[in-house]
Amino acid sequence: MAKYVDKDDGIIVVRNLVKMFDRRVVLEGISLALEKGKTTAIIGPSGCGKTVLMKHMIALERPTSGEVYFKGRRIDELNERQLAAIRTQYGFCFQKGALFDSLTVYENIIFPIVQHRKITDWKAIDDLVKNKLAMVGMDGYQEHLPASLSGGQQKRVALARAIALNPEVILYDEPTTGLDPIRSDIINELILKLQRQLQITSIVVTHDMRSAYKIGDRIIMLHDGKVIADGDADHIRNHPHSIVQQFVHGEVNEADLAALRLGGTKFETQYLPEDFE
Amino acid sequence: MVYSMIEPVGEKTIERIGNLGRFSRFFARAAQASLVSCCSPRSYPGIWTQMHLIGVRSVPVVMITGAFVGMVLAIQAYDQLAGMGLEERLGVLINIAVVKELGPVLAAVMLAGRVGGALTAELGTMNVTEQISAVQSMGTDPIKHLVAPRVLACLVLTPFLIIYADLLGILGGYFVSVIQLKINSRAYWDFSAQSVELWDLNMGIVKGFFFGGAIAVISCYKGFTCREGAQGVGQACTEAFVGSFISILALNFIFAVVMKAIYSTFWPIQSLL
Repeated sequence: MAKYVDKDDGIIVVRNLVKMFDRRVVLEGISLALEKGKTTAIIGPSGCGKTVLMKHMIALERPTSGEVYFKGRRIDELNERQLAAIRTQYGFCFQKGALFDSLTVYENIIFPIVQHRKITDWKAIDDLVKNKLAMVGMDGYQEHLPASLSGGQQKRVALARAIALNPEVILYDEPTTGLDPIRSDIINELILKLQRQLQITSIVVTHDMRSAYKIGDRIIMLHDGKVIADGDADHIRNHPHSIVQQFVHGEVNEADLAALRLGGTKFETQYLPEDFE
Repeated sequence: MVYSMIEPVGEKTIERIGNLGRFSRFFARAAQASLVSCCSPRSYPGIWTQMHLIGVRSVPVVMITGAFVGMVLAIQAYDQLAGMGLEERLGVLINIAVVKELGPVLAAVMLAGRVGGALTAELGTMNVTEQISAVQSMGTDPIKHLVAPRVLACLVLTPFLIIYADLLGILGGYFVSVIQLKINSRAYWDFSAQSVELWDLNMGIVKGFFFGGAIAVISCYKGFTCREGAQGVGQACTEAFVGSFISILALNFIFAVVMKAIYSTFWPIQSLL
């Protein structure tokens, strides 16, 4: 089923990726090539391995078997020191922001810069921070601590930090989770704006279908560690697979409803057909 | 039946060996990163901050620990020595015990609780909120950035904290012996000075280097491998303290055996009383 992908087919290429935690298979032979400059949304139910797949793309997780390439170079076998140079070309927006809570917004944003560059002109750095914060609508918050910001503001600052080193790829882990619809849309607009202005390749893990349709040039659906749908928004919207349809419409299936009605602890896979007759 | 008994034992053994292997790798990486950080002026501000948090802020608790140790030793030992008419030699017993064993060990145990707990809680919380992954994703080695400054601060400052504990232990013992138990001050110091050698004092301080290293590496490891949730962080802190405590006691024993062998090779054993 897994189609063949060449290591040069995209900016990030994942080939026959298998990941096991203890004896549990989380990713089962995934092969993908992600195109440069496009936004790819990876959707799927909670626990299907979306975030694990994305962490492989920046080698924060190492595969049990399979290969991961960035710009044609294999990265899953590199050591931490070799990866440092590769990772500066990525920005990673974590689900809850992952801002350093002991540092101010300003210090958070300059963190990747001071780690990799020798700073001589602090005025230029101040301007850079101002510029990055302005891009996400957070200029003026430089001296705030993350704890004094709302969830949406923290995600925006995290986004500003992710673009501090002008990366080629940004990975977003559930950027709209936990935000109200308006703030979710602000984040969606920001992702689109960054892609348009900076021609960044974006990979967004989400289970927010509204967001996936809006920002995704391509949508990939994972289920039980496998890719079950891959295409543009229309392709996903009209996909014949029942699990895809259920997911995109956010509907619970009859079997699970029956399980709830019966009040038992068994779920779909544990029922026999006669239970529902 | 037999298999069901053997299986969990085997599973636990494999798990423990795996943990030991992971800890050894972490230890090696922390040691390497600490050496590199020593030679890199860019990491000095981070080390300086940790020195303040770990060292300077621990001075009061370590001094209080030392003072009470000295005072309790004076009270407990006085009756026995007075019974033999040797009360003027009370200072020998107090000062030897304080500088060789109780000062370093109890100061280190206090640090395991104060510093070790704080390190594990801080790094554990950073781990569960993905801040450690964030450091890594920005191309920075989290061991070098987060562990090395803490290890270096503990290594350098634990011996100094032990000096504070020793100092207050000696003063506490003196206070109770001379002021409260009315022992002749001059005799107290003379007998103490005859018996306590620079070797004893130095050994206590050198131990601090090893105790500090053990506390820092164990606590950082537990923080880095902490499981998610409040319970995970709490459990990691407990494990870090217990692990540090046992390591301090074990290292102290090894140190006593090794140092005694070295000492007796160069100098004959002398009677203290």
